[in-house]
Amino acid sequence: MDLARRFDVTPSAMASPDEERHPAPAGRRRRSQIGLAFIAPFGALFALVFIVPILYAAYLSLFQERLIGGTTFVGFANYGKLFQDPQFWDGVGRVIRFTLVQVPIMLLFSMALALALDSMRVHGTKFMRATIFLPYAVPAIVSTLMWGFLLGVKYGLFGSLNDALGTDIDPFAPGTTLISIGLMVTWAFTGFNMLIFYAALKAVPRELYEAAAIDGANEFQVVRAIKLPALRGSLVVTIIFSIIGTFQMFNEPQILPTMVANSGVTTFYTPNLYAYNLAFTGSQQGYAAALALVMAAITIAVAYAVQIRGLRNASDQ
Amino acid sequence: MRLSQKARLLSAVLVPMVALVACSGGSGGSGGGKAAGSGGGDEQVKLTVWSWDGTVEKAVPGFQAANPNIKVEVVNGGSSQDEYKALDNAIQAGSGVPDLVMFEYFAVPYFAIPGKLADLGEFGVEKFKNDYVPAAWADVTVNGKVYALPSDYGPSAMFYNSATLKKAGIDKAPATWDEYYEAAKKIRALGGDHYIAQDTGDIFFLLSLIWQAGGRPFTVNGNKVHIDFTDEGTTRAVAFWQKMLDEGLINTKITGWSDDWNRTLNDGSLATQTMGGWLTSTLPERAPKAAGDFRVALMPQWKQGDKVGAENGGSSFGIPAAAGHKDAAFKFLEYFAHGGGLSTRVDAGAFVPNTSVLESEAFQGKANKYFGDQKVGAVLAEASETVGSGWQYPPFFEWARSIYGDIASPFYTTGKVKLAEILEQWKQRCIQYGNEQGFQVD
Repeated sequence: MDLARRFDVTPSAMASPDEERHPAPAGRRRRSQIGLAFIAPFGALFALVFIVPILYAAYLSLFQERLIGGTTFVGFANYGKLFQDPQFWDGVGRVIRFTLVQVPIMLLFSMALALALDSMRVHGTKFMRATIFLPYAVPAIVSTLMWGFLLGVKYGLFGSLNDALGTDIDPFAPGTTLISIGLMVTWAFTGFNMLIFYAALKAVPRELYEAAAIDGANEFQVVRAIKLPALRGSLVVTIIFSIIGTFQMFNEPQILPTMVANSGVTTFYTPNLYAYNLAFTGSQQGYAAALALVMAAITIAVAYAVQIRGLRNASDQ
Repeated sequence: MRLSQKARLLSAVLVPMVALVACSGGSGGSGGGKAAGSGGGDEQVKLTVWSWDGTVEKAVPGFQAANPNIKVEVVNGGSSQDEYKALDNAIQAGSGVPDLVMFEYFAVPYFAIPGKLADLGEFGVEKFKNDYVPAAWADVTVNGKVYALPSDYGPSAMFYNSATLKKAGIDKAPATWDEYYEAAKKIRALGGDHYIAQDTGDIFFLLSLIWQAGGRPFTVNGNKVHIDFTDEGTTRAVAFWQKMLDEGLINTKITGWSDDWNRTLNDGSLATQTMGGWLTSTLPERAPKAAGDFRVALMPQWKQGDKVGAENGGSSFGIPAAAGHKDAAFKFLEYFAHGGGLSTRVDAGAFVPNTSVLESEAFQGKANKYFGDQKVGAVLAEASETVGSGWQYPPFFEWARSIYGDIASPFYTTGKVKLAEILEQWKQRCIQYGNEQGFQVD
């Protein structure tokens, strides 16, 4: 910024001190004030629904609520306790493991589908696009119930599958529940991510394909040399969205225990679920607020790391 | 582009925090305390009642006819847990506090001890004592003061599928737990999915078993809570159920209230349910195909010839200390939980702990079609009046039961359930939490 001004060669920078008194700078000032007016509605709403709640959560996190003795100021004690809370770290570890496995699989699916739709070799593209996207519109609560029935071993579809194949696999045993949740999440979000990829592919100038065709490139070379590089930017976006989504996992583990016995879902299965239970059955709002803030910090850190890395890689190419 | 991306990122991260904050009570507000409103004057009073018991609403027209200056609005706030959260929030916020609220028995101390409930002694509630079965009255009494009036009751009883029992060669309901054990083996011998009962870590069932056996694991005295799962009654109950689980006589795959559960009740493969008497109202809906097969009996006894029961659920209504119209609220409470509105509620299906109802001919003599014309009321009345006395719940039971599954579930899934160890771990968590909450727990 400073550097830019030092070498500024615009007329106003080169103007004589005399001209400084002319209305031009005042006009610029007015213009910046108009700009402020334009962002004011957004700014006010943003402050109201984001900044204020964060500050309030931060404030809450400094207190401890007790059934006997009421609310007391405890400084950063909630944070100290949180960092030593094995249940919290159990949940964090679970969503990280989940992210590492589920997100790549889902994005590969999405990408493959987007490439297929874009290949112009599939009939009924519009219908397919809408159908694949449809699960995203199903509320997570409904889809969890639905998958609960599908994967139930006693009377569900999976039970019949077990009978037919003579296997004895329980999709909701403690070791497999996370995989089943992964399946539900993949089902729900593949279409959403596919749409992002598809939009990026549609933005590729047709001339590139024509040029490739003239050069005699086959379909796979086109994919490798044109389409995949074009997807790089949206890949970063989808990864970030997916990380945020999985770090916030709540609905599925919240509902599953009411459907299946002993699926291994605990009250601290994911950090969000833990925060909810702490605040609403343990009446520990302060501790829950501390947890929410720390989790937000972790999520932001991970998402930004991905974004910075992703953008650097993109510009390297 | 980058900015909007960032904003979206930020918003996605922060939404749960916003939700959390929104729910944890906002600014001061105007305060719910417009002093105790009048109920008898000419002034119009609008009562807000929070209840998930649908029969309470049925009592409203009769009450309003007799008290034209009181308008009653009954709000169903969803499940009990949701309602407690909402009440806590309203009290914390100081606005929107209802005048009358429904509580499960174990939740009464949770609200009474920190002073969130009005002491009903000031309304002369003691004179109603004789109309309630003793155990129910004890449930709403905390440290010698009455904070709520019992409104429905859950005496534990055994519901059994007589057709399944007959198929297994059992011609009468097991009257003792020893007979129950023998019956379990015969039912298991039918093969397939036939079990005498299911258990996937149901704390309320286990506690009712302990309760009946004379165990009193929780002792509450003011802010002091003592937890002991090694007294004689507890040990006996735990050892018995441990034996049932060890010998594979219990289905540990089907959880209560699930779709699977409904199906097994319908097809008769689950032979018995030892549960609160309220099951009478929901069983016909859940197991319509088993109509005519189910019967009700007292809980099997620990000693031949005894008649001791236990509780499994039940609820009451109390008046928040911050309520605006306490007098009018009590008037309505008395009406539907003791006075003229009681019969309306009983007709609508409520199971109440009032002796005036339980001992009436109308209640005891009525044949229930779903239960093969059995006089169900007589059995449940007897179950209510024989509930063992002296049971206490710790004030943080709502939290304690929510984490019980965390501890029990891993044991149940490995198939090697060690009840005593589960209870010991549970106790340790309770001690830690209770002390953090300012109680003296050991």
